[in-house]
Amino acid sequence: MGSGDHAPEGIPASGAWPIHLEDVIVRYPNGVVGLRGVSLSIAAGEMVSVVGLSGSGKSTMIRTINGLVPATSGTVRVGPYTVNELGGRRLRQVRGGIGMIFQGFNLADRASIYHNVLVGRFSHTPTWKTLLGVASHTDREIVMRALDSVGMLEKVWGRAGALSGGQKQRVAIARALSQEPEVMLADEPVASLDPPTAHSVMSDLKRVNTERGLTVLVNLHLMDLARQYTTRMIGLRAGEVVYDGPASSATDADFEAIYGRPIQSRDTLGQ
Amino acid sequence: MIVVVLIAITVITTLPALGGVHIDLGAIARNWANGSERIAKLFHPDPSILPRTWKPLLETLEMAVVGAALSALLALPLSLWAARPSNPTRSRAGVRAVLNVVRAVPDLVYATILVAMVGVGALPGVITLVLFDLGIVVKLVSEAIDSADASYMEAGHAAGGTQTQINRLTALPQTWPVYASQVLYSLELNVRVSSILGLVGAGGLGRLIDEVRGFYRYGALSMIILEILVVVIAIEVASNYLRKRLR
Amino acid sequence: MTTATLSLSATRAAAPVKPRRLGVRAAKLTVGLVVLAAVLHLDIGWSDLAELPADLRHYLDLMFAHPDWSRLPAAFYQTWVSVSMAWVGAVLGVVASTILGIPAAQGVAPLWVRLPLRGLFAVLRAVPEVIIAIILLTVTGLTPFTGALALAVGGIGTHGKWTYETIEAVPAGTAEAVRAAGGNVLEVARWGLWPAAAPELMSLALYRFEINVRTSAILGLIGVGGVGDMLTGYTQYRQWDSVGVLIIVVIAVTMTIDAISGAIRRRIMRGARARDLDRTV
Repeated sequence: MGSGDHAPEGIPASGAWPIHLEDVIVRYPNGVVGLRGVSLSIAAGEMVSVVGLSGSGKSTMIRTINGLVPATSGTVRVGPYTVNELGGRRLRQVRGGIGMIFQGFNLADRASIYHNVLVGRFSHTPTWKTLLGVASHTDREIVMRALDSVGMLEKVWGRAGALSGGQKQRVAIARALSQEPEVMLADEPVASLDPPTAHSVMSDLKRVNTERGLTVLVNLHLMDLARQYTTRMIGLRAGEVVYDGPASSATDADFEAIYGRPIQSRDTLGQ
Repeated sequence: MIVVVLIAITVITTLPALGGVHIDLGAIARNWANGSERIAKLFHPDPSILPRTWKPLLETLEMAVVGAALSALLALPLSLWAARPSNPTRSRAGVRAVLNVVRAVPDLVYATILVAMVGVGALPGVITLVLFDLGIVVKLVSEAIDSADASYMEAGHAAGGTQTQINRLTALPQTWPVYASQVLYSLELNVRVSSILGLVGAGGLGRLIDEVRGFYRYGALSMIILEILVVVIAIEVASNYLRKRLR
Repeated sequence: MTTATLSLSATRAAAPVKPRRLGVRAAKLTVGLVVLAAVLHLDIGWSDLAELPADLRHYLDLMFAHPDWSRLPAAFYQTWVSVSMAWVGAVLGVVASTILGIPAAQGVAPLWVRLPLRGLFAVLRAVPEVIIAIILLTVTGLTPFTGALALAVGGIGTHGKWTYETIEAVPAGTAEAVRAAGGNVLEVARWGLWPAAAPELMSLALYRFEINVRTSAILGLIGVGGVGDMLTGYTQYRQWDSVGVLIIVVIAVTMTIDAISGAIRRRIMRGARARDLDRTV
């Protein structure tokens, strides 16, 4: 499946995947409802932001796409797969095609940067090989290139914990890129970063979209970043889609409807 | 309220009629003449025993090292197996239950039974130490994994990794300092324990202790105790130094 | 950042060479050699190990397939003797450690008091309780009282250390306030340090008791009474069905005590945290 079987030779990933959600409901075991019937379609190669306050369900939504959070009902289709029907090995295979980066970077701080990026090769590696600690030459090369592409190659043998926030997020992007994914998910990727670093990480994501042609879905709570870097914006409030349209033309009134309150200064990054 | 309960328990446990401890200060008075003479001997360590201690001392240390090493090998996978982030499945509870049982049996009890099973020597000693260490190391390390930030696990799952892959590549280096520090701690405890295992026939200095005690050679006994003291404290100092380097 | 693009280009900058950490390698090698030497030198027929699993199965079968339940009352009685020993040892040990541990804390007593006390704790920590019992029984005889005393004396080593460490962890402010109001050493300890350190120390005292429950069974092996004494007897006469019952009782009682004591400890510490919050809010 996917592009993993082909050597990467400067060509954008084989084909980006579209994403379809149909009436997706997520109810957590503790009774909290994360999503109440979300339906939407994202075309292959789109760059979409999901905007909403914390608790609006955007984290939940992005996690239903790679099955980290199982949908209680409804259908989640990514590329040729119906994620909500898969489990075990097949689910891991799909996840291999979906890169993800996180607000807290989710790196193993005590492990080297090399090993952290090698995590991206999991779905292409048999478990016993990982267990023995042998990485194939191809995997090693992919890791190095991914690190090179985010400008972190010279740190490859250092510990992830020694990096700054912006550097950590770049390593996390390299980890996702080394999966050679068809889709890139980002859950509040810049919420823990200072404004200049936030912009550089956002432009990295933008380039993942334009240069590799991946479908990119990025959760944001800041309206100016959504307007600047994405073409389409989906607004979530209390687990429901309340806005879906072009990001650049979204008005302040649209944002107030998404947030459910007047706009405040902390809703923009500034600069 | 709590104080009343505490006092009640203390009273019950000191009633000989109920099987409690008979606090018999009179016994001290009765035995004093006899005992004080022996205690006086304790303050005059007898160095002539020293040459005979080297071999059992070495055996004690070797048992401690081998016990710690074997338990370390077993403890690593077991710790990952017993912690929630590295093993979300139900089998975790089973591992924990077994280890709770293993921990509930005191070290010398293992040694006594094992000596009866496999015969006198270092083997029952080493097995005892392995069981003793496993109980401690797995408990402490798995609890450390439970309480540590495990967000990197989510990234591994998102990348399509199996739990084993995630544990091997990322959980292992994350856990390493706690693990190494607990293994060193188990080595410290082992030296203390393995010096007395011989009392029940499981090899090491304990056998010598039993012998000199049988012959009332209290000077020699105190020399051996001094020796244990020096070795235990030396190992503790060395292990503290190493632990600081691990950070 | 360089001009690298985010596409996986065919060419890339050269990766830095993986650094060789010689120190780490040397340390690994040393540890490996020490372990190997110990394994080889130890007088164990490692080839016999192949029979070990079968042996263990055989004996486990003897012990637990048909335990001799008629020993149950006696087993419980002897375990109770051991638990009593553990409790009395814990009480005596904790009282003594509190008296000795508080002056050993920094900021309570001068250095010439502190150092000898800490030295005493270190020595007592290093000597196994069994050996303390062997020494004590010359004057107290082979009685449970000896066991309790040995547990108490041995306990001073660890609990004394925990006591001064806990007290040193108390924020400086409270003690300062009492001292500023003209309090002497005793008053500082009673009104400045004790209220802040008491929950933690209570919890540690209970933990001490849990440890003593295990150690008291061990002390029985040298003849001071309790379940250990009984166990030695039956093991020597190879009455495995009785040994099985004893082990089951020891495990059950130890785990029950751990569970109860652990629950109480958690409550004490939760209460302490709640009070801390009250104080700061």
